Amino acid sequence: MAISENAANVSVRPHHTLWGDAWVRLRRNKLAMAGGIFIILLSLAAIFAPLITPYSFSHQDLTAILQNPSAKHWLGTDGLGRDVFARLLYGARTSLAVGIFTQIIVLGIGLPIGAIAGYAGGTVDNVLMRFVDFMYGFPDILLIILIKAILGGGIYQLFFAIGLVAWVDIARLVRGQMMSVKSRDFVAAARAMGGMGPYITERHLLPNSLGPIIVSVTFNVPRAIFTEAALSFIGIGVRPPTPSWGSMISDGYAVIFSSWYQVFFPALAIALLMIAFTFLGDGLRDALDPKMRH
Amino acid sequence: MAEIVIEVNNLAKYFPVTQGLFHQKKIADVKAVDGVSFTIHKGETLGLVGESGCGKTTLGKCILQLIRPTSGEVIFESRDLCELSDKELVPVREKLQIIFQDPYDSLDPRFTAMDIIGEPLRIHKISKGKEYNDRVSELLNLVGLAPYMAERYPHEFSGGQRQRLGIARALALQPQFIMCDEPISALDVSIQAQIINLLDDLQQKFGVAYLFISHDLSVVRHLSDRVVVMYLGKVMEISNRDELYKNPLHPYTQALLSAVPIPDPAVEMKREVIVLQGEVPSPMNPPTGCVFHPRCYRAFADCSKIVPLLADAGGGHQVTCLLYKTSWP
Amino acid sequence: MAPLLEVRNLKTYFYTQDGVVKAVDDVSYDVNRGETIALVGESGCGKTVSALSILRLVAEPAGKIVAGEIMFNGNDLLKLSNEEMRKMRGAKISIIFQEPLTSLNPVLTIGRQISEGLEFHKNMSVHQGMQEATRLLKMVGIPHPERRIYDYPHQFSGGMRQRAMIAIAIACQPQLIIADEPTTVVDVTIQAQLLELIRNITKELDTALILITHNLGIVARYAKRVFVMYAGNIVEYGSAMDVYHYPCHPYTAGLLGSVPRLDEPRKTRLQPIEGQPPDLISPPIGCSFQARCAYSISTCQKEKPQLSELTPNHYAACWVSQKGLRQWQKL
Repeated sequence: MAISENAANVSVRPHHTLWGDAWVRLRRNKLAMAGGIFIILLSLAAIFAPLITPYSFSHQDLTAILQNPSAKHWLGTDGLGRDVFARLLYGARTSLAVGIFTQIIVLGIGLPIGAIAGYAGGTVDNVLMRFVDFMYGFPDILLIILIKAILGGGIYQLFFAIGLVAWVDIARLVRGQMMSVKSRDFVAAARAMGGMGPYITERHLLPNSLGPIIVSVTFNVPRAIFTEAALSFIGIGVRPPTPSWGSMISDGYAVIFSSWYQVFFPALAIALLMIAFTFLGDGLRDALDPKMRH
Repeated sequence: MAEIVIEVNNLAKYFPVTQGLFHQKKIADVKAVDGVSFTIHKGETLGLVGESGCGKTTLGKCILQLIRPTSGEVIFESRDLCELSDKELVPVREKLQIIFQDPYDSLDPRFTAMDIIGEPLRIHKISKGKEYNDRVSELLNLVGLAPYMAERYPHEFSGGQRQRLGIARALALQPQFIMCDEPISALDVSIQAQIINLLDDLQQKFGVAYLFISHDLSVVRHLSDRVVVMYLGKVMEISNRDELYKNPLHPYTQALLSAVPIPDPAVEMKREVIVLQGEVPSPMNPPTGCVFHPRCYRAFADCSKIVPLLADAGGGHQVTCLLYKTSWP
Repeated sequence: MAPLLEVRNLKTYFYTQDGVVKAVDDVSYDVNRGETIALVGESGCGKTVSALSILRLVAEPAGKIVAGEIMFNGNDLLKLSNEEMRKMRGAKISIIFQEPLTSLNPVLTIGRQISEGLEFHKNMSVHQGMQEATRLLKMVGIPHPERRIYDYPHQFSGGMRQRAMIAIAIACQPQLIIADEPTTVVDVTIQAQLLELIRNITKELDTALILITHNLGIVARYAKRVFVMYAGNIVEYGSAMDVYHYPCHPYTAGLLGSVPRLDEPRKTRLQPIEGQPPDLISPPIGCSFQARCAYSISTCQKEKPQLSELTPNHYAACWVSQKGLRQWQKL
């Protein structure tokens, strides 16, 4: 039983943790990396917008309306003389903020509900899941309109409204993960040691469910971004003068044939940001999938 | 004979099979464990053998109350564990531990070796700081692992080493009883012997009792003091180890022993194997009378009508078979 | 008479992100017509990979057969086109896998899965195939075969699924069957049934059988010749009698000594082989077993031993044996 037998032991392969291994795999995925870099660059551009463009998003120069892209206005100006490039950059702030902060609401509601349903099982699970089914059946946009009508128009209310309809998927996912991890032997071992529900959920079930949850959240972000853009497009998203790519598109829609760039650039921005998050999400899913190791 | 650590009386576990659209109606029971009784003594190893579907794993989990039995008693320290709530069981669980079959599934992949071994200590709030670290190092050493491995993750260990971690974890609280659920089946042959020796040594050292569940009869013979043979949720035979292997009474035990090939071509050339006909019946629909009779090569007319009882055949040897008059109800 | 199958100097490597895994590293063995041989070893020794290599079922692009020849009836299987190889699989050489649940298609009836091969190789119609499937199911001992051909795999028990796999394997009367751990997942009484069945059928059809397993008892009972594999190499081979009674490699002797036997008095302590199998990505220089070997000499660490004949038709790759320094008794 001496230690010598273990000299031939642990592999000569490099020591890496599970997260380290996932990171290595993620790095190899060029599309995911491209997506990630794009998101980072865009975020930096959005944060440092004042340093990049001299124009503010709301400054109106009525002498220079609907101008084509030029040296002075890189992407031209809109119907009120506002610089399109500046509005694009500041609009990025809105999109990113909505995309990311709604996830806080989503996790805040969906995670506990899913976790309780998954761990408790039985009647509790039944009741909670029927509630989830019910919420699932609601048309999202209508519910958002309803919530905004009740709560008012600011950006925080928007986070809340979008978050309130998006938590259902996470709840189901978390519940599914809980149930599958619950059946694994190491959970039985923890119970055999005297571990009770909350301990097991916190220390064993949740950490082992993180992978799919992270991936799901990453995919949720572009959905939230698109929802905000869509709502702003129809006028019930963020209020002016807060810039939003969606409202830029709706503003530019009227002059689409003469000043196509009004619609094109914000639409392109939305598309690129969504694709970036999607590639990143795909990459994360592959990197975090334990079955794909070796 | 040493004192009794665990007494199992008429333990039964039925899983209801339901059908129905809105209101689930019970149509049948899967009788996974159907009236099992035996005792385990201090420091002894009781081997539990049987094939898949015989209920041995369910039985083990029922004893530890990981699955709650449908009926029967599990007496430990003068209390019936079946009557205790989950909360009341927590202090009891320090003394009853478990080692699992699958070395890959029984360890949380996100815990380091140290976390895994120390978990029982943390749950029971025993020892902190230096005392905790010392105890973990001591346990690692006991199972033959080097101290620097404490920081590693399960995926960096081999199957045999993970099983050692599982054993170290089971020992952390100095239990009186460990249920070993097929602890070596998933390991390579050359590693199995290492783990068997380890379990043996630890038992000598700490006087812990084992319930050793396995389908591998050769290994059971090596480790056990007494052996229980199960089939379709019922006990077929209980005996001292040597008695069982030298003189198996129940036809099922005889077939089971005969089915094990001996690693020696000269012996195998001359040996006749008892080949049982048919498959193990479904526990939802067990045969009438003796559950083994449809496959039994010594069955006679009464076997399909009368259910034999577990009865004494002399010298601590018990058998459930109508061939032995003592088994008639 | 030339052997039916001859694997010569086979090398199959896997290219992974951590390096090259030399799963099979210069392995040679052969099977004669109608003979049963065994390929014994533990997980990771390369026995399954070598069998998959014979049928060219190694998963590409990660896995690749990098060298060697596989002579079957005088033709090198590695040189055949994909089309020609497909005609071999199931017809001349078939394989029984370890896990019938994942090897059978859950959405096809058992009958169709058996007749698939018949339709492809023997140009039978579906109807003819199903009739033949009934006959085959009867041959492998499944009751009411005429009804069972319409059942799906999940309606069969584990032992019966394995019988169905056997039926699929023998459908086109192959000359060689490879059985890869055919009874590892079933109980010991079912194992006895299945192995007796396989023995009877191979005798009746005069089929050669490569039995791949880690179970020393099964090998002793059913194989005539034994090839012991360790870390991607064959370390010993010969007749079962010779290898079991006079092992010439410390690994073989160690394995035999570490397994408790029902027919011998109970030992107080088992004699395990200490240590772990080596990493196949960076195997040690010299003998791959020496880290675990209690008898190694200095040569063992410098040079890798090759197989050499120690007694007639009994080969082992071990310096200590070859220099006559020691004879291992099974303990």
